[in-house]
Order: sequence, then structure tokens, then C-alpha cells
Amino acid sequence: MIPALRSDRAQDALWYVVVAAAVVLGAYWVPRLEWTAVAPSWFFLLTALGRSWFLAVISIAFGALAAAPLALLRVYGPPGLRHATIALIEAVRATPELMLIFWVYFTMPLISGSQVTAWNAALGALSIIAAAYLAEVVRAGLNSVPPGQLEAARALGLSSTQAFGLVVLPQALRNMLPALVAQFVALFKTTSLVSAIGVMDFFRAVSVTKNAVFAPYALYLILAAGYFVSCAVISRVVRWLDPRYQLLE
Amino acid sequence: MRALDWSILWQYRDALLSGLLTTLWVSAVGVVTSTAAGVLVGCLGALPLRLARRFAGTYTGFLRNLPMIVKLFFLYFVLGLPAFPAALLALMLHQSAYIADVVSAGIRSVSRGQIDAALSLGLKWQQVFRLILLPQVLRIVMPPLTTQYVAVVKNSSVASLIAIPDLTYETQGINVETFRGFEAATAATALYVVIALAVIGGMSALASRLGTR
Repeated sequence: MIPALRSDRAQDALWYVVVAAAVVLGAYWVPRLEWTAVAPSWFFLLTALGRSWFLAVISIAFGALAAAPLALLRVYGPPGLRHATIALIEAVRATPELMLIFWVYFTMPLISGSQVTAWNAALGALSIIAAAYLAEVVRAGLNSVPPGQLEAARALGLSSTQAFGLVVLPQALRNMLPALVAQFVALFKTTSLVSAIGVMDFFRAVSVTKNAVFAPYALYLILAAGYFVSCAVISRVVRWLDPRYQLLE
Repeated sequence: MRALDWSILWQYRDALLSGLLTTLWVSAVGVVTSTAAGVLVGCLGALPLRLARRFAGTYTGFLRNLPMIVKLFFLYFVLGLPAFPAALLALMLHQSAYIADVVSAGIRSVSRGQIDAALSLGLKWQQVFRLILLPQVLRIVMPPLTTQYVAVVKNSSVASLIAIPDLTYETQGINVETFRGFEAATAATALYVVIALAVIGGMSALASRLGTR
């Protein structure tokens, strides 16, 4: 270690110099990108980013609805059903997301006989993915509440529904929050894969624009910024909801 | 529902096998490179050195918030790398960020007092690392690392989008040629599940070897 860099203050100073250099470089480089070529597509790109958000939000909602019964079956279900649920969840979690999207889009119509649109296939596949991962989050949340809590609530005369709804669930939900947000961030990134079946999400919109106008660096900067800012926003929201999150991390 | 024809799998066994082999070796390279980079950045993130922590935080924060496909297409289409190097590099960049977080969390979970105590008892730095730090960190890191290695196998399928002939790519090919996508996708999914189970089994065997040592 260089002696001059021993102290935290010296290291901070060096870090800020590096950051400042990056900002100056960016300030020089970014305005010189091909913005005039990209400018007419701004609304198209913004709509597509909105579509990615919409896909993520809707499928996490569907996923959460399906995840609750799956997790309950996995924790409290009768043996046969429990093993079937475990097999289902683990199979989905072990399958590549892209493969699942292809599954729903190309192979479901072959066995069911009816066509699905790319949009519905994307929603369906993302919901299945969200359900499998969220089921695990819910299960971990339920397991994180000590069994003594439920027993104590029962001993105090609460019915089993009351004990679950008033005592176990609120604590479990609170413990689940960080993992829930992590899944939402992961799902938002997974939405980029539905471009493979032709859904005009943010990734595909940028690719299409890239084929129409020659502006690779500007468009990739937009692409990276779109995903980065979206994921960062989701992560920030949870810090705002739950200040203890940082301690848990 | 139309009749299923499983003989298609036997007919296309060469395609499926070569796809499986491609998936396996791409994943294996991905596991090795992302572990190497992840451990390096993770150690930087756990050092009592602000600059190193800042660098590690920037690395993981930047790479974790971008989808794998964005990195892959950037390397392939914008930087113009050939398909295989682009796929391997994207896989490494993507997964090493997650592995770095796992590793640095594992190291930080060993309390500073233990290291101080060991040093004050006269142990050398190498001994502290080998006898105090490593056994505890390994025990903590193994389960999340298993998840990450399964994720490497899963994310390798994204490389099929730049025509890496892996299992997903071959499945698409069978679907296009024969419309027997259901059979092919079932076989491919089963193979992916088997690979994941092998990874989980291998890691837990490794963990118990390390634990009983």
C-alpha cells in the first residue's frame, strides 16, 4: 500500500478524483454521441420502457397471487400435494427463463390447439417465473416466524385463522420485503428476454431503433440507463419503505 | 391436442447432444471465470480499505442492475466480439457481480474480533486466513454459491440469442424444422433440471467434504 493512501480521507480524495474524471469524460463524450439520429424515437423508446414496467408489475402481481397458495401447500399441504408442489417450483426455478418463455409461446399452442399472442405468452411466462420464485420467498418468510408465535397465539385463544392472519402473516410479510424487492428487480431484468418472441419491450425497441438509425453508442447508453435507473428505483423504494433494510443487507 | 411423437428426440439426438455439450462447457467456463472474478472483487469489497470497497460496490452495483442480454448484445453487436468470447465474457461479467456480493458478505460475516484475537495470539496472516477465515467463510458461502452456479447454467441459455448452438438453440432448431417443439422443449427442460440437480448435488458433496475436513 502506498503510504500516502493510508488514511480514509486520502482514499476518499482519490475516489472523488476518479469520479470527477469520469464525469468530465462523460460530459465531453455524451453530447458528441449520435443524438440527432435518436431524437425522433424518444417517444417510441419511452413507451417501450413503460411496457417493460407494465409487464414486470402485472406479472409480479399475478405471480404473488399464485405464490401464496403454492407456498402454503409447500409448508402446510398434505404429503402428496406437498411433493408435487416442490417438484413444480423447483422445475420452474431450474429451467432457464428464456426456455420457459419459448415453452409458453411455441409449445403450449401445439398441445392446446389455440394460438397465444406474444404479449400473452410473455405475461404468462413471466407470471409463472414470478410465482415459482415468490413461492420460495413466501415460504422463507413463513418459516422465519418462530413456531412459538403461532402456538402462543393459539394458547391465548385465537382461532387458527386469526393466529395466522394477525400474528404470523404480518411478521412474515415484514421479513419477506427485501427478498420480494430483489425478485422484482430480477423479474424486471428478465422482461428483457421476452424480446426474443417479438414483444416490443424496452430491449427490443432499442434493437429495432438500432437497425433503423446508426447510433449504436447513444442507443446502448439509453438501454443501460433505462434498465439501471429502473432497477435502482425499485431498490430505493424499499429503503424508503423499510429503513432497516440496509441493516439486513 | 395432437398426438405426441417422442421418436423425434431419437431422430435429433445428435443435435440435442451437441447442444447439451455446448451448454455444459459454456457453463463450466462461466463457473470458473465468474468465480475467479467474483472472489477477487468480493475480497476487495471486504477489505478494510475504503477505496477497494468503493470499487467493488461500483462493480457489483453497475453489473447487477443490467440484464445479461444487454451486456451480451453490447459485446457482440457494438464491440463486435465473436460469438463465443462475447457469450463467455457476458456470462462472467453478469455472474461475477452476484458472486462478489456473496463472497464479501461471507467474509464480513466473520467478526473482526476473531481476526484480531488470532493475530494477537501470534498467528501469521496466512494462518489466520487458512485456519480462521477460510473454514467459516466457505461454510457460509456454499449455499448461495450453489444458487449462483445454477444461475450460470440458466443464463448460458441467453447466449442462444446470438446463435451459440446450446441446448436452447438446438431446441428452437428442432421446433422450426419439425414443429415438434413440445417434445424437444420437454427434453431440453428435463436436461436443464438434471444439470441443475447435478450442480446442487456436486456442491453439497463438496460442502460436506470441506466441512468434515
